[in-house]
Amino acid sequence: MGPLAPNEIITENTNLFLAFIVGIGFGFILEQAGFSSSRKLAGVFYGYDMVVLKVFFTGAITAMLGLLFFSLFGWIDLDLVYVNETYLYSAIVGGVIMGLGFILGGFCPGTSFCGAAIGKIDAMLFVVGLFIGVLIFQEGYPLWEGLFKAEYMGTPRVSESLGLSYGLFALMLIVVAVGMFWVAEWAEKKFPREEY
Amino acid sequence: MNPRVILSTAIIGLGLIIAAVPQNTTRPYKVDASQLLVEIKNGQQFINPEEVADMLVQNDPSIQLIDVRNPDEFNSFSLPGAINIPLESILLKDFEDILNQDTKTNVFYSNGTLQANEAWMLTRQIGFKNNYVLMGGLNYWVESIANPQKPSNSSANEELARYNFRLAAGSALGTGSSEGISTETKTNTSPLTPAIPKIEKKKKKPVAGGCS
Repeated sequence: MGPLAPNEIITENTNLFLAFIVGIGFGFILEQAGFSSSRKLAGVFYGYDMVVLKVFFTGAITAMLGLLFFSLFGWIDLDLVYVNETYLYSAIVGGVIMGLGFILGGFCPGTSFCGAAIGKIDAMLFVVGLFIGVLIFQEGYPLWEGLFKAEYMGTPRVSESLGLSYGLFALMLIVVAVGMFWVAEWAEKKFPREEY
Repeated sequence: MNPRVILSTAIIGLGLIIAAVPQNTTRPYKVDASQLLVEIKNGQQFINPEEVADMLVQNDPSIQLIDVRNPDEFNSFSLPGAINIPLESILLKDFEDILNQDTKTNVFYSNGTLQANEAWMLTRQIGFKNNYVLMGGLNYWVESIANPQKPSNSSANEELARYNFRLAAGSALGTGSSEGISTETKTNTSPLTPAIPKIEKKKKKPVAGGCS
């Protein structure tokens, strides 16, 4: 049955419309979880507020379990689900730039729009910076095209590289995630901050 | 009990289940019998010999002819660029890469259409796409492309255009007669583009997406 768009159960336009609805939902959840506050977001680097880690890991394992069970019930063909291609150097360099920006600015791209939507000035400045970054990337593309496209690896999955089944890897990830939640809550008690 | 403990236990439990069950390797996308019947009724699987000939003449890389007859027959005569997958071996894993893909248009052919149709039905039922059947099979191919019948002078323009196309394609593919191309179309408009219904090609494309 699924995925819906590649199997032409819904049209490309309906797909976009659904993405729009899901996107609004995503923004709402981000804001509702407090992600529009850069102090809360930065907390993950100092240990006083680990909500970023908890929310994203919860999202990841929920989606993972959902997809695996859907596949088990024959509701979705995992081979048709889009996986981002891996360009190794791009991923590393991009990750470092994104991480630096996150620490400096206190937002990641999605949450900056969330903050801007509720009128946070720092978030609006962050969005401006984001577009400056896009412009630099775009205009300087010939300079970093080589690096950008280097070490193309297709769509490797961690479970495949380790020779594990999807299910076993999922279980390991869940155990790690749950362990991380406990460590995170311990850290919040260990490095508390009153007002932020 | 602490809700965190309950949630953790529940999610680890689900993880245990998913780790214990075998990975689902069956293809969930299958065509059921009624859908297949509709496709057969509409003749969706057929592709016109003219269209195939046109693609062959233009060296279109997206066409792959598949001869489903036995290897002896294949060796004695086959269409240009065809590969041989006898009907008995159509379900072998070795050929899955060829039969189940998104980029090429596979065209099954046999002497008539029976075997090619069987090949198409088998592959269609396991959910493979982009497979078609050469309409009329080799017999009709030889009749129409290799030795086309000259239509009478009073025929419609399309008839004459089709005839000219067949002659040209036949000689270009080396299977045709050496008769010259007729110039008898009444208005002489583009004799190489006969009116052929286009086959709608459907492609599966994963939807791009991502977040951060």
